[in-house]
Amino acid sequence: MELVKEYIKKSTTYKILKIFSRLLDDFLSTVGSITIQLFSSLKFIIKGQIDWKEVVKQSNRFGVSSLPITISIVSMTSIIVAMQVAGEMVKQGGGNYVGMLVALLTIRETGIIMSGFAIISMIGSSLASEIATMRVTEQIDAIRVLNVDPIRYLFVPRIIAGTLMMPPVLIVSSAFGILGGAVASTIVSELSYKAYFSSVWSGLYIYDIKVAIAKAFVYGFTIALISCTCGYFAKGGAKGVGQATTKAVVWSFVTIVIWDLIFSIAFFF
Amino acid sequence: MIKVKNLIKKFGKRTVLNDISFDVNDGETLAIVGFSGSGKSTILKIICGLLDFNSGSIETSDGEIAMVFQYSALFDSLNVFDNIIFALQERKELRKKYSKKDFKNIVEEKLKLVGLTGIENKFPSELSGGMQKRVSFARAIVTNPKTILYDEPTAGLDPISSTLIEDYIVRLKEETHSSSIVVTHQMSTIMRTADKVLMIYNGKCVFKGTPKEMYENGNEYTKQFITASLDGPMKMLTE
Repeated sequence: MELVKEYIKKSTTYKILKIFSRLLDDFLSTVGSITIQLFSSLKFIIKGQIDWKEVVKQSNRFGVSSLPITISIVSMTSIIVAMQVAGEMVKQGGGNYVGMLVALLTIRETGIIMSGFAIISMIGSSLASEIATMRVTEQIDAIRVLNVDPIRYLFVPRIIAGTLMMPPVLIVSSAFGILGGAVASTIVSELSYKAYFSSVWSGLYIYDIKVAIAKAFVYGFTIALISCTCGYFAKGGAKGVGQATTKAVVWSFVTIVIWDLIFSIAFFF
Repeated sequence: MIKVKNLIKKFGKRTVLNDISFDVNDGETLAIVGFSGSGKSTILKIICGLLDFNSGSIETSDGEIAMVFQYSALFDSLNVFDNIIFALQERKELRKKYSKKDFKNIVEEKLKLVGLTGIENKFPSELSGGMQKRVSFARAIVTNPKTILYDEPTAGLDPISSTLIEDYIVRLKEETHSSSIVVTHQMSTIMRTADKVLMIYNGKCVFKGTPKEMYENGNEYTKQFITASLDGPMKMLTE
């Protein structure tokens, strides 16, 4: 029997299954942790136990400090799209649809997804590393010993700030994206601004903007919750902080892409 | 008062604390000594509720429990003032009791107690290790605790700063009449601050007595600890 056990343990199939089991274990424990923190945070939000001073501080971090990067990324994406399609569309007689195409793409997809990616890279990673550092330097233990709930103090203001600030960030960056598309289209294809902007509303509806704002609320909430959770459960020293930050970024990226798919299926099919 | 009876704590299959019992009366200080990794800090974390335990019982006086962490654990993003009044500001029941002026007076009073003044607006990164430790003392006593736990309070400090910290431990005990536990490796801290000593090895209590008894007629464990000898019943955990 021992020999059989030894033989199985040395087999490649066993090793592969072991890796999968470890990954599955990590996946399920992360999903579990995020769910528990979600409900714990909601409990405080529903009870109205919110530190608004801290919310304002975190909102500044989410909204104001991330704005230059989100505007740059969304604008550049729209400029690239406009540069790629405007010339050809004008040649094919579709010049009147360039504004519509860029606006639709920016509002429905690139504006929100690129803003999300920028926020994850800048703010999500910083939230995770900040909270992970607090964990490994016993600051979270100190909060608990002082009889303050770390979820109320750390999670709630960040989650509210993320949820409230993501829509304004999306609106501003998308506006710059559409504007950038106009400039690029004009330069590349000599399309007039009037033709570009008059076509914007031919395919873009208020419904699209409402869905984009709803997405922004969900993305902001998701990014803040995942980043805080990954940081909160960091283990070890500097390596643990690094691992928590990476995990927060990867999980946030994957989750917002999944949300994107869910929104696309739910609202556009 | 702290009463610990038959405390057992396991991490997985490993028993870190095996049947530990001790009492600390009001106004008394107990020093817990032992090898690194012998479970000393685990006892403190269990008493203040940061860790669960497997069996046994813990009783403490009604009122707050405070803990001074090994590396101070001050909040990086807050200045000294906000660090000290953190609990008063964040806890609704305490916030109601005090005005902004009270906060200012409390911070001044607590800083004065640990021999610091005029550093309210400084951030932890701008303070020396000894000053950080003293600020963490001030933060710990802001809620007037009945039980104070010190996790290696003099670790990483020069001898003079260590003496200063030891003096504050004694002074706080006298002024607050609280029960204290000091986890330490240093004989000077034991001799200057403790009324009782508990020595742990491999999760078990191997000595209980006064610092004088430990120094003058302890057992083979205490002798090895005091002389820092490699020969004796205590072997490094890696062996």
